[in-house]
Amino acid sequence: MLALYKITKMPRYICIDMLDSLQSDVRQLISEANYLKSIDPAVLLQEPAPGKWSIIQVLEHLNSYGRYYLLAMERSMDKGTKSVEYFKPGWVGDYFTRLMKPGENGQVSNKMKSPKDHRPSKYPDAFPVLHTFLEQQQYLLDLLELAKSKNIGAIRTPISISRWIKLKLGDTFRFFVAHEQRHFVQINNALVTIRDTKDILPAAHPAV
Amino acid sequence: MIPVETTPLRKFISSVYPLKETEMERFLESWQPFTCKRKTILTAAGETERYLYFVLEGVQRAFFVGNERQEATIVFTYPPSFSGVADSFLTQTPSKYFLETLTNGRFLKISYQKLNDLMNEFPVIQRMVLQLSAIALKGVLERQIELQCFSAEERFKTLMARSPHVLQIIPHKYLASYLGIDPTTFSKLLGSVRI
Repeated sequence: MLALYKITKMPRYICIDMLDSLQSDVRQLISEANYLKSIDPAVLLQEPAPGKWSIIQVLEHLNSYGRYYLLAMERSMDKGTKSVEYFKPGWVGDYFTRLMKPGENGQVSNKMKSPKDHRPSKYPDAFPVLHTFLEQQQYLLDLLELAKSKNIGAIRTPISISRWIKLKLGDTFRFFVAHEQRHFVQINNALVTIRDTKDILPAAHPAV
Repeated sequence: MIPVETTPLRKFISSVYPLKETEMERFLESWQPFTCKRKTILTAAGETERYLYFVLEGVQRAFFVGNERQEATIVFTYPPSFSGVADSFLTQTPSKYFLETLTNGRFLKISYQKLNDLMNEFPVIQRMVLQLSAIALKGVLERQIELQCFSAEERFKTLMARSPHVLQIIPHKYLASYLGIDPTTFSKLLGSVRI
């Protein structure tokens, strides 16, 4: 078993530790979103540059993924599977998570384009969007807690762009959180541009 | 199995509400070890506290985030004491504030469910929890008086008389926030005390 692990070189996680660490990442996002509540909605709705998404548009984009994935992940956990000690990422899931996750320096160097059906409308209402985002994060924390009693390597969740491609539930969580972290880098950059100051959001703890 | 380090908890409980050995053992064996890195949020606002912690190592801070980015530091926890969002834990309702670690931490933790089961089985454990809650309530109300009636200087001096060691273990900006004074006033007060 150990030899096999060495050959494939895929990292292996202790499930509980990995889920704990994802929960603390989500709590960090909640605290950052909480700061946004105190910012003038006009700032949240302003485009940092022509054609660039406003902070609320970024959040609405995240909400649109949440509407799909949170439900999909909850459904995938309906079946009774028992938890195991270790989780080994699948190579597709691991690849996409790495691609999404901000770098060690907390920045994003590889830009991506969002799929058409996840592009937010230009003028969504600020507070309901922020409120929905925070609600979804609480829901996500609960799902991560529930997942501690499930086999996150055996359960699979269909991805949003194709029902036929399924990721391990553990990878879906990792990918989903990494995607949110990526967009919070964008949010912080937008705030810096609009307000012309540094370090708007409370600093995240170093990436695990 | 790593042996669970329960001696500090045993000592702490014995000093507050002595239990018989059988009950003490059942109580201690219900806790599990837990470690966590610095600057980790243990409980977010909106979340219901699942655990009661006992701190073996490290410092934690509970803080409220208000409008205009005001942050109020509500309480610090460090060994040997309990940690966790106490009101959310006891009432099982969502927390209004955050709990974060300031340093790497080592803890023991117990879930609400487990503690509740213990309290149902052993009324004496329930009385002990009541005693601990009463002590915590007394502390909170004392602080309420200090915040409402004392001047900045009096608040500072009270803290220095009660817990002078916090100067060494807690960043001063958080101590200032705890006292409700701004960081520059805090350094001035600190300077005046040293002279």
